[in-house]
Amino acid sequence: MIGLTMLMAITLIAAILGPVEINYLNSLSAHGEPVQNYILWQVRLPRILFAITIGASLGLAGALTQGLFRNPLADPGLLGVSSGAAAAAAGAIVFSGSCAWAIHEDLRVWVLPLAAFCGALSICFLLDRLARWLTPGSVMGLLLTGIAINALVAAFIGLSTYLANDQQLRNLSFWTMGSLAGVNWMVLSLMIFVLAVAFLCSQKLTLQINALSLGEAVAAQVGINLKQLRQRIIVMVAILSACAVAWCGMIGFISLIAPHIARSIAGPDHRQVLPLSMLFGGLLLLLADTLARTVAIPAEIPVGIFTALLGAPFFLSLLAKQRRVLI
Amino acid sequence: MPQKKLLLSLKDTGLKNTSYKSIGIHALNNTLGPFSIDIKSKERIAILGPSGAGKSTLLQIMSGLHDHLGSIEFLSKPIRQMSFQELSYKRAFLPQQHETAFNLSSELIISLGRVARDHDPELIKIIKESAKAARVEHLLNRSYQTLSGGEKSRVHLARIFAQLWDQSNGILLIDEPLAALDPGLQIELLLAILKFCEGRSLTLVAILHDIQQAIEHFERLILIKEGKIIADLPAHPAPHRELEILYGMKFERFTRPGRKDLLIPSDLRCSYTN
Repeated sequence: MIGLTMLMAITLIAAILGPVEINYLNSLSAHGEPVQNYILWQVRLPRILFAITIGASLGLAGALTQGLFRNPLADPGLLGVSSGAAAAAAGAIVFSGSCAWAIHEDLRVWVLPLAAFCGALSICFLLDRLARWLTPGSVMGLLLTGIAINALVAAFIGLSTYLANDQQLRNLSFWTMGSLAGVNWMVLSLMIFVLAVAFLCSQKLTLQINALSLGEAVAAQVGINLKQLRQRIIVMVAILSACAVAWCGMIGFISLIAPHIARSIAGPDHRQVLPLSMLFGGLLLLLADTLARTVAIPAEIPVGIFTALLGAPFFLSLLAKQRRVLI
Repeated sequence: MPQKKLLLSLKDTGLKNTSYKSIGIHALNNTLGPFSIDIKSKERIAILGPSGAGKSTLLQIMSGLHDHLGSIEFLSKPIRQMSFQELSYKRAFLPQQHETAFNLSSELIISLGRVARDHDPELIKIIKESAKAARVEHLLNRSYQTLSGGEKSRVHLARIFAQLWDQSNGILLIDEPLAALDPGLQIELLLAILKFCEGRSLTLVAILHDIQQAIEHFERLILIKEGKIIADLPAHPAPHRELEILYGMKFERFTRPGRKDLLIPSDLRCSYTN
C-alpha cells in the first residue's frame, strides 16, 4: 500500500519536473498551451509510464532469476543476458555502418532494438544449451556458465568500443549505460503487453518456485517438473530482459535490488515477492530516471549511472548483512 | 491370512552413472547394487548399515528420481513412466539434510508438501493436522532459519505427512528421521510416524542408525554393506550374527519374555572403520 502511494506521488512529481515548466491546471484543461500539452502527453507521461513498466519488468525478471537459482545474488545482468543484447547492438552500430545505406530510413530506427532483442534471446538459449551440455541438471552450473558467457560478451563489447569512431561511441554509450529517452506510445503499449503476459504466466509458477527453494531434490519429490519449470522461467526472463534492453539499453541493479526490498518487506513467499518486486522495480527506475533527466537540465545523464549509484552501496550492505549465509 | 499386495519391486536395479569405469579390480566402494527387493504393502522396513554403505543412495533410487539400471515397478507400473506429480501423490521422501534458500515460514514449508495438487480445498486443515502429528503446531509461524536442528527436521516430517495425508497404499521413504533429536522425542516421533503409516495402510522404509529401534519397531531389516545387500530378513528374532558381520563388532543378545530381543555392543573394538 505504502509502495503504491509512493509510486503515485513520485509519478506526479516526475511529471512536473523537467526542462519545460508545466502548470498542471493549465495543461489538464483543454485551453492549456499547446506546447506544454504536447510535452506532457507525448514526452513526459509516456516516459514516466515507460520507466515504471521497464522497472517492473526488470524487477520481475530479477525475482524469477533469484527464485530459479535459489540465490539472492543472481540477476539477469549477471548471466550475460543484458550484455548479450548490448553486444548485439554494439556490433550492429559499429559493423553495420558500411551497409547502413541499404536499409530504408524509416526502418533504421528498428534495427538496433531488433539486434538487441536477438542478442538477448540467443544468449539465453545458448546459455541454457551450453549449461545443460556442460553441467547437466545443476543450477550452479548454469550460473557459472552465465558468468563465463558474460565475460566473453563483455570482451566483444570492448572490441566494438575499440573499433568505433566518435559518433558510434556516442551511440554505444546509450546501450552500455541505458536511457529511457527513446519512448513513444507504441513502444510503451508493447512493453506493457509483454509485462502483463509475463506477470500472468509467472503467477501460476509462484508455488513451484517456493518449492524450489527447498532444493531441487525436494522439489522433485513433492512433484515439481523441474525441467519444465526451469525452461519456463528462463524463457520469461529472456523475453523480459531482452525487451528492456532492446528499448533502454543496459540498466543495471534494478533486477537485483527490487526483489530484495520486496523480501525484506513481505517475507520470502514468492506469491508476494513477484508482484512487490515489480512495484519496487518500477518505483526505483522512475526515481533514477527522474533524477537522470532533472539533475543537470537541459543535459540528460544516462540512467544506468543513477541505478548503479543506488545499487552498488545497497549490494555491499547486502553482502555485509548476509555474509554468514553467503560465504 | 491373505497375501499382502506387492507395492514396490526392484529388479537388478543399480545406478546409471560414470562410476562404471571404476568397476573392476579394486573399486568396491564405487559400485552399488544391483539390488533386487520386493516391498509389500504395509511393510515396515529398516535399512541398516555402516556409513558410506550406500543406504541413502538405495533410498533415492527407490524414490524414482535417479536414473537407474534394471527395473523398478511401483504400484505395478514402471516407475520411469510415472510423472513426478503422479509419484508425489503416493510416495513421500524425507531426506537426511535440509536446506532452504529463502527464509520461508514453517507453515509455508509444510504446505509445499501438497504443491503438486491443483485443487486442494482442505489444505489449511491438513497443514494444522500434520503439524500436530509432527509436534510442530507451535512453530507454524516461525521462519525456518530461527529453528533448531531438531525443529527443522520435525517441520520437514510434517511436510511429508501433509503430502500423504489423504492417501492410502503409498510409501514413505525416510532417511534418518531421528538424528539430532533427544531420546524422548525420538520415541515420540517414531511412534507418530508408525501411527501415521498404520492409519493409512502406508508402507514405511526408513534408514536407521539405532539397531534397537529397528528391532523394536520394524518387521524387516535390509542390511547393506559396501553397496551390496548382505541380508534381507525379519527383524525378530534379532539377527545377531548378521548384524555382527554388518558392523564388524560384537553384540550381546538378551532374550526377554514377552518383548523383543535386546542387542548391546559387547566390546569396544570395531573393525569396519579400519
